[in-house]
Amino acid sequence: MSDPLVSIRNLGLRYGTFRALEDVSADFSRGTCIVICGPSGSGKSSLLRCINRLEEFQDGDVVFDGASLRACRDLPRLRSEIGMVFQHFELYPHLSVLDNVTLAPRIAKGKPRQEAEETARRLLDRVGIGDQAGKFPGELSGGQQQRAAIARALALEPKLMLFDEPTSALDPEMIAEVLRVMRDLARNGMTMLVVTHEMAFAREVADEIVFMDKGRIVERAETARFFSAPTAPRAREFLDRILHRL
Amino acid sequence: MNLNYTFNWGMLLVDPARSWILNGIAMTIGLSLLAWVFALAIGVTIGSMRMTRSRWLRFLGGAYVELFRNVPLLVQLFIWFFVFPLLLPRDWMMAWNGLDHVPLLTALIGLSLYMAARVAEQIRSGIAAIPKGQFAAARSTGLGEFQVYRHVIAPYAFRVMIPAIASEFMTTFKNSALALTIGVAEITYAARSIESWSFRGIEAFTVASATYMTTTAFVVLFMGWLERRLRIPGLIARR
Repeated sequence: MSDPLVSIRNLGLRYGTFRALEDVSADFSRGTCIVICGPSGSGKSSLLRCINRLEEFQDGDVVFDGASLRACRDLPRLRSEIGMVFQHFELYPHLSVLDNVTLAPRIAKGKPRQEAEETARRLLDRVGIGDQAGKFPGELSGGQQQRAAIARALALEPKLMLFDEPTSALDPEMIAEVLRVMRDLARNGMTMLVVTHEMAFAREVADEIVFMDKGRIVERAETARFFSAPTAPRAREFLDRILHRL
Repeated sequence: MNLNYTFNWGMLLVDPARSWILNGIAMTIGLSLLAWVFALAIGVTIGSMRMTRSRWLRFLGGAYVELFRNVPLLVQLFIWFFVFPLLLPRDWMMAWNGLDHVPLLTALIGLSLYMAARVAEQIRSGIAAIPKGQFAAARSTGLGEFQVYRHVIAPYAFRVMIPAIASEFMTTFKNSALALTIGVAEITYAARSIESWSFRGIEAFTVASATYMTTTAFVVLFMGWLERRLRIPGLIARR
């Protein structure tokens, strides 16, 4: 694997005495879509949040696009190159959908309003909610809100997209519309790290699956191989449970 | 009710009662509004200090709130009036005592600093009520810490805080009555003067009460208007 976009090196994260991540190492190349799965509390979200330093890790380092996060002196600049989508959308409720998308490009990157709005409208069209631009987040359905949140993250023209359980708070019929947008992104070559329980999505879209348990990566495999023959017993058990829901 | 008392509302309309009342109302409103402006400015600053990452700023902010919130306003006014000048260097004390309207200035300082502590506490709890995910989302888009507060947290928190802030605004008017104890001729002072001059306590204190009720009613109307104006479409309305 040459020139990875993200290189995680012996990463360790503690909350007090609880070890959320322990000695995690992994490289992720450009243009790949990686699904991270595992039981709750296994450290999936924590791992994502270390990659844009929303969590301050104690051990190891993350190298993003050749630059060490530990040594990073300009976090906002780093973060503006990494889009993130959250479980609960986290749109700004007091701003219209359009303003949600244009805020960071205008304020953090200093783009003129008109240019930012043109980009925003294009992105909102792309995620299928171009007609909702003038509404407020509270007036949208969950699926629409999450698509707006994806547009907000894309507006920064990120090199990497992090998805933290993007469909876990959605009704079943809205999950599909969000997954469709994500699939579209992956097919267009976006580098994506996706924490999700949507195994059908993982099987169809992911290049590789990373399985985590108790703060460690216990298995990493090409998608087809992960589903047909997982090696770690813990991963096999997890797959059994999630694929044949009792 | 058989009240052994003959009302004479008319005497309120002739001097000296009339000018006492008019000056008293002007003093109450002026003192309260000015104190409120200072309380907001200082309170927002102190409240923000308590939300920063600096331990020193947080400690200073916390100490301020505890100090000013936990000593009764009446005692604070007496301290500012009787004790504070004694602590000044001699020249400064002379200059201070030489100023016009020392009681009014003292009341303004005391009321502002006291209300600022309460405003600061509202700011802190308002910001604490914002979901953590909002901070994470704003930071994840590359906004700097000040921009996160300026564009995302503050506008949201302010809307959450309006009812509590309205209540503090009304409290400022009511607390201004204590200024009479250091000789500020606000409306309660005027009511007392009328009572001792005419022995007409009912009329005098009715005017004082009506003044507070009218001003606070205006505050309620204004804050209600502000709340409706800033209402976020799609969020559950607060009424």
